[in-house]
Amino acid sequence: MKPLLPLLLAAALAGQAYQQRGYLDLRTTLFPQDGFNDNGHVIADALFRYEASAKLTPWFKLNGAIDARSDTHRQTERSARFDWQDRGFLRPAFSFRRFSATLHKGPVTIELGKQFIRWGKADILNPIDRFAPKDFLNVVDNEFLGVLAARLTIEKGSHTFDLVMQPRFTPSRTPLLNQRWVIWPAALQTPVPVVQGAPDLPGGVQSGARWNYLGKGYEMSLAFYEGHNHLPQVDARLIPGRVELFNRFAQMRMYGGAGAVPLPWFTVKAEGGYFTSTSRSADNYVLYVVQAERTIGEWTLVGGYSGEHVTASKTQFDFAPDRGLARAFIGRASYAIGTDRTVSGEAAIRQNGQGAWVKGEYTQTLSTHWQARASFTLIRGGADDFIGQYRRNSHAILGMRYNF
Amino acid sequence: MSKWPLLLALLAAGAQDARQIVEESQKRHRSQSQQYDGVLQVFNPNGKNSEKRWQFFRSGNYGDSKALLRFVNPPEVKGVALLIVNHPERASDQWMWLPELQRDRRVALQDRSTRFFGTDFSYEDLEERDVSQSDFRLLGEETLDGHACWKIESTPKKGKFSQYGRVVSWMRKDIYFPVQYEMYVKEQMVRRLQYRRIERVNNVWSALEMEMFDLRRKGRTVLRTEKLQYNIPLKDELFTLQALRRGE
Repeated sequence: MKPLLPLLLAAALAGQAYQQRGYLDLRTTLFPQDGFNDNGHVIADALFRYEASAKLTPWFKLNGAIDARSDTHRQTERSARFDWQDRGFLRPAFSFRRFSATLHKGPVTIELGKQFIRWGKADILNPIDRFAPKDFLNVVDNEFLGVLAARLTIEKGSHTFDLVMQPRFTPSRTPLLNQRWVIWPAALQTPVPVVQGAPDLPGGVQSGARWNYLGKGYEMSLAFYEGHNHLPQVDARLIPGRVELFNRFAQMRMYGGAGAVPLPWFTVKAEGGYFTSTSRSADNYVLYVVQAERTIGEWTLVGGYSGEHVTASKTQFDFAPDRGLARAFIGRASYAIGTDRTVSGEAAIRQNGQGAWVKGEYTQTLSTHWQARASFTLIRGGADDFIGQYRRNSHAILGMRYNF
Repeated sequence: MSKWPLLLALLAAGAQDARQIVEESQKRHRSQSQQYDGVLQVFNPNGKNSEKRWQFFRSGNYGDSKALLRFVNPPEVKGVALLIVNHPERASDQWMWLPELQRDRRVALQDRSTRFFGTDFSYEDLEERDVSQSDFRLLGEETLDGHACWKIESTPKKGKFSQYGRVVSWMRKDIYFPVQYEMYVKEQMVRRLQYRRIERVNNVWSALEMEMFDLRRKGRTVLRTEKLQYNIPLKDELFTLQALRRGE
């Protein structure tokens, strides 16, 4: 895997079609309240990201991206190794975020290697994005992780067929046991320490297929996924002297679809999937989102509802932020103030009022390269609600980014 | 004898003339493909300006063309791309690629009056429309920057969508080349586009500089074209959603 970087550099030196971009991002997160099990109030993060691609021939392209990062709250590994899998509890200090080769001829495109695969059409929640695990060390400010996969895409007229095979499973990165995004039941008393155990990662291949159709002014897709859920169920092992909590990843099959239809005043987007599992401890359910979006002048507005219907209830204890956003009204709005400033907001409000997450962000471009941002996330609700349980984790983020 | 048939005949003749002029203009300036590097300077109402750069590729002609536009600067928008597929009988299809999200996003018809990525061009202004989508009327003749011009009004045909109720254009009579457009929403002029530095490139008359005024925002954007070329071989597969995602 590692020879990719020298290849990219060689391509650059050889004067091939070489493109690059990246940034240095410095961020401070401030939590005004103590967490249930974490009294850290300030986390500083630094991330250097470099993305490059080299087109070696008209039909062959190499893509690479590396991350180098650190933080003050032990969320990033302290070892100096280069990671390419992104399967650990902690964020790697140095990692290949993407490394892939793209081959294309006529309507056929093949991408091999670590890559990002997005199938969803909706915003905020994408039930059919099954090859898109995320880093949830901060549950509400998260980003996608790449997956090691082979992807074949055939685009023929208005039809696009996508076949994906992921030979090595990439789980979502879940919150750390000793940090504020893991909420312990208040009554829980354990006579022995509870520690994070090694996850039970599934072997085998995850696979999926999608057909997308572009109609006159509308588009729709159907998707199928067979593999494992990248979001875990949490189980416990009794080890002498301690209890180990560990993640298991239930088998999952998805039948899904998405569509976007522009109406005279707004565009309606819908996306949903029916999820089944052979696991005795994973639910069968339907997860969907319906939203309307409109851009008016400098405003972009998105509003909708995400819903869930459980057809077979089996889950004991899981970590499922996607389902955690269901049965909620969701929205996003952004407003461009001139060419260099933007204010935006996002919200998810539970239909029964038991949980609410509201985020506001202000971004200002300071110069060609520098950008500043400030955001505040307010979380409210009850202890039994997925969103509400994080009510002590409202936070502000101040960030500076140097783009190049 | 009633004077109405004569008047209607004259109006019909005028309409035909205007359409013929526009058709002749499109015929004369036809090219199979186009490529340029665009340098955009966006001026805010307060005078502050920012620079953006894009690469532009087009294959085909008015109403039946495909275009790809990809930002190369500033760094924060590098890689953002727009694919436009123009149709002879209807408004174009447009998709935007956002590398940060690794996702393409269809730009809905009703959202195309929005400014394109902080410039004073709207998404609709980036389309190329076939003459069959509009009705034309010759308003008269005027001299603009020392050149005799036809002044032509175009309105979208019934059932054709446009943010503009009408567009008035000035077409140079000597070379059949448009030099100015004024766009109206209801009776209010909302944008003015001026073509400057008109030269022949690869035997095709071209404006090497365009200035778009947004009269509501009171901002303006100057687009300078560099390395402009016509009739170069561009493969069809460059203008697909897959190519948009591949970053080509």
